[in-house]
Amino acid sequence: MNKLTKIVTIVLAVVMIFSAVACAAPAATEAPAQATSPAGSQATQQPAATEVPAQATTAPAAPADQKPVKIAVAGPMTGDNSEYGIGFFNAVTLMAEQWNAKGGINGRKIEVVQFDDKNSPEEAVSVANKIVSEKDIPFIIGHFASGVSMAAAPIYQANKIIEISPSASHPDYSSIGDYIFRNNTVIKYETQASLDIAVNDMGKKNIGIISIKTDWGVSTSKIATELIAGMADKGVKLVAHEEVIEGSDDYRPAITKLNDAGADVVLCVGMYGLVAPVAKQYKEINPNISIIAFSNAYSQQLLELGGDAVNGVAFPVVFFSVSSDPNIQAFVKSYTDKFGSAPSALTAQAYDSAGILFTAAQKVGTDDPAKLRDEVNSMTYPGVTGSTHFDQNGDVQKPFTKVEVKDGKFVLMGSK
Amino acid sequence: MIIQQIFNGLTLGMTYALIAVGYSLVFGILRLVNFSHGSVYAFGANIVLYLISLKFGLGPAILIGILLTGVLGVLVDKTALEPLRKQKAEPVASLITTIGISNIIVNLLTALLGSQKRAFPSLFPAGDILVLGIKFTYTQVGMFVVSLLLMLILLLIVNKTTIGLTMRASEQNIKAAQLMGINVNFVISFTFFLSGLSAAIAGALVSSYYGMTYASMGYMAGLKAFAAAVLGGIGSLPGSLLGGLIVGVTESLAATILGSEFRDSMAFIILIIVLIIMPNGLFGAKSIKKV
Amino acid sequence: METEQNTKTKFSDMLPILFHKYGWFMVGGIVLLLLALPLLNLNSYLMNILVKVGIYTTLGLGLNVLVGYTGLVSLGQAGFVAIGAYTTTILTKQFGVNFFLAALLGAFLAGFFGLLIGLPSLRLKGTYLSIITLGFGEIIRTIIIVWQPVTNGPMGIRNIPSPELFGTKLTLYNGGLFYLVLALLILVTLFCQLLINTKTGRAMRAIKGDETAAIMMGVNVTYYKIAAFIIAAVISGLAGSIFATQLGYIDQNTFTFDMSTIILSIVIMGGMGTIRGMFVGALILVVFPEIARPLMDYRFVFYGLVLVLMMRFRPQGLLGWKDTAPYPVSKNAFNLFTENKVSFSKKLKRALHSETRTE
Repeated sequence: MNKLTKIVTIVLAVVMIFSAVACAAPAATEAPAQATSPAGSQATQQPAATEVPAQATTAPAAPADQKPVKIAVAGPMTGDNSEYGIGFFNAVTLMAEQWNAKGGINGRKIEVVQFDDKNSPEEAVSVANKIVSEKDIPFIIGHFASGVSMAAAPIYQANKIIEISPSASHPDYSSIGDYIFRNNTVIKYETQASLDIAVNDMGKKNIGIISIKTDWGVSTSKIATELIAGMADKGVKLVAHEEVIEGSDDYRPAITKLNDAGADVVLCVGMYGLVAPVAKQYKEINPNISIIAFSNAYSQQLLELGGDAVNGVAFPVVFFSVSSDPNIQAFVKSYTDKFGSAPSALTAQAYDSAGILFTAAQKVGTDDPAKLRDEVNSMTYPGVTGSTHFDQNGDVQKPFTKVEVKDGKFVLMGSK
Repeated sequence: MIIQQIFNGLTLGMTYALIAVGYSLVFGILRLVNFSHGSVYAFGANIVLYLISLKFGLGPAILIGILLTGVLGVLVDKTALEPLRKQKAEPVASLITTIGISNIIVNLLTALLGSQKRAFPSLFPAGDILVLGIKFTYTQVGMFVVSLLLMLILLLIVNKTTIGLTMRASEQNIKAAQLMGINVNFVISFTFFLSGLSAAIAGALVSSYYGMTYASMGYMAGLKAFAAAVLGGIGSLPGSLLGGLIVGVTESLAATILGSEFRDSMAFIILIIVLIIMPNGLFGAKSIKKV
Repeated sequence: METEQNTKTKFSDMLPILFHKYGWFMVGGIVLLLLALPLLNLNSYLMNILVKVGIYTTLGLGLNVLVGYTGLVSLGQAGFVAIGAYTTTILTKQFGVNFFLAALLGAFLAGFFGLLIGLPSLRLKGTYLSIITLGFGEIIRTIIIVWQPVTNGPMGIRNIPSPELFGTKLTLYNGGLFYLVLALLILVTLFCQLLINTKTGRAMRAIKGDETAAIMMGVNVTYYKIAAFIIAAVISGLAGSIFATQLGYIDQNTFTFDMSTIILSIVIMGGMGTIRGMFVGALILVVFPEIARPLMDYRFVFYGLVLVLMMRFRPQGLLGWKDTAPYPVSKNAFNLFTENKVSFSKKLKRALHSETRTE
């Protein structure tokens, strides 16, 4: 075993030297668009990641006099929630390709660089440091989870790199700095829209809330509780609020409590992973229950996991892929053709965010971060998720569309 | 409502009992807590779903999936644990090895199949029956019946067959069993095979109950099942059943009374209490450690 | 019959002597190198990684006291890290307490919980104790989630202030954080090194070697086991305090079983029981994923493989040196046997050979 020690020591030394050299060299190592492991990504049902599109974007080598414009996409590319990170990457890649086909930004090709933050703040800080030290990436789309985005945001802010998160929901996120933006619905308005469906469209008065214990779940249910209290004059009341741990699978104790409290509509503050099992398990004991949710329930997975039980589930969205708007249609078609599944609201928001950044870069170039930021702030962008304009906080306000599940499909609420 | 919650808990507990059985089988023979059991359980569920997606048909998929998982159990033993036994390594080494294997299996599943939840078909027809005012879905009844059947079959195997005799002999004293001409290595492999089998059945049943399966489903369930096995007396099959039911009911009641966020801790609290007050569990035999 | 077939000095035989004689020079050299590191003005990404390595090495050293010295496998170290991190963060952020004082309080609280967890060791052995530590880690996570008024639950704590020393903030960018981590690392290393040869250290190693024999020899096994837990908890708590400032944001998902697994892998890979092993283990297991980003999906498969392969082929880890004697025997024992006796077992002789070459 002494030979082993020798070999290991030498390998170690080589590895350390190699890593020091490789990491110190600017940018070259993080080879553009390293989409991760082949088999795994293709098997995922969500906006699936395949390596081919990534390489297609970056194949045209940058002409010697025109450096490419790089955009970073950071999110969970592996592990739980990788479907979202990969979805962001796909969306941004699609937008980049469309721009490149038209000549890029002022003749410069766009390069999409992928970073995996494994949905952990620790890793996000590492990734953020990597991005800022590369010095030629002026903007980033990411991250996915609020906590993770907020861990990385101060680093981007300090280095004047524009961060647009298509999914962060924590109320304090965008106020971290003027380079930090959020292209996701503000919880307050979305909750309002959801409750609106329950009270006005469905005519229910006894609302039960089941929420997951994450930062989004806790903030949202708090807002929901306040909004319901504000509707007391209409006879609406909150009969019960159950908090569950994300991913428990068995929600029967909470559901039994909600049912016994007399809820006739349940607000599911959770993603499709909560709505589907809750719908199933609730309808076992009360087939007449109505369920309302949020735009993050809008996903093919809801239909697959929920089956018949999710018929009747309704929620507000800012992006509806079955819309008649030709722009949206074109986007949905090219996304589905390329990646094999329909885009979700979050993916569409990432797509628009990339568009915003490219438009801004086209107008003022990428040399002056302050100018870029001002341009992003002042722009009103007509995207697939509606007309997007950032307010002074860095948040957006969008109109909502009401959607429900009927016969195993998503349809506009109230339609036949 | 409490009655309903108790019955929710019983069904939940049944799922834990099924997994706990696997722990008991292996511990009985090897005095080893097989930390990788949870991941084998997840593998079982996922492989059945994968086979279904390959258009194998429900019955064959389950059968093949169960057999494959049994083989996985044997593989785990042969490649990782048996060499350690040969080397007469400390028990610490086996524990750490099973942790490592658990990581490997779960993360390979995640890498190859993706991390999101996938829909699992129902194994029983939809609908329910009303007994004394409590609703039981066919799935719940089915689960009870299948689990009890499985338990009975295992008990039969262990107590009434020759191979079961060799298993019990090895449990009592491995060296003496070897001296009696029993091929102990085969018995151990067979035990792991049974353990994998029961894990896969448990996986299929639980996945059908919740309608979904995912790579990391084995972590929490595995730990809670371990608590159940310890409560019932690790090494005892009826103990695992009882332990599982108790853990399930306690968890359900805790969720009702305290709130759903406390569910996961209940199993650990039970575990700690049991280990401190009566480490041998309800049915476990007292063992004298000979110095 | 007496011809020694291995007259050539093997490299591994040289190493103990090298270390013994030149150990302090090597260590001193490395420390100087580390002190000078921030002056190289490496970019923040590299500094971040170095700080991470430093923290994980410290955590490894902490777990090493439990696993390597005393033979108790703890799967819940992340819980102690969390206690240190949250206590320090809450004190500095909400109450404006000085970082160092807060870190001490955090370590104290972590040590208290170490005591609590050590208590079941009165009744439990081996695997059961390990599972309880695992349960402890999960219970701490649940407490973080549900004790919202204090820990802010799933919303986490953000904008964690950097430690301040005499008015200057110690951050990643001015190298301050690196020096802080380095200081802690040096302290803990010295502590562990000194610990080995004290009465406590020897008692711990006796427990690992053979607990029953230790009891027979009058070692108060329970006391030392609990002491090991407390020490490991305190070290982890201190590392956790600094970890929180590096991250800037913590919530319940920062301190999961995955973290405990990584720390365990570091200890096992580096060589449990050795201090130098912790450095190597942390270096490999933190740096490797950074280099091998394409293999990200398989990162935990790798950690698992490390555990399995190490236990199978090299349980003493990369830098642990296996004694050729069946159990650890002190150097003096050999001298006793060589004075007048001529023939002795080949095994002892070989070990003797490298030890007494200086004669």
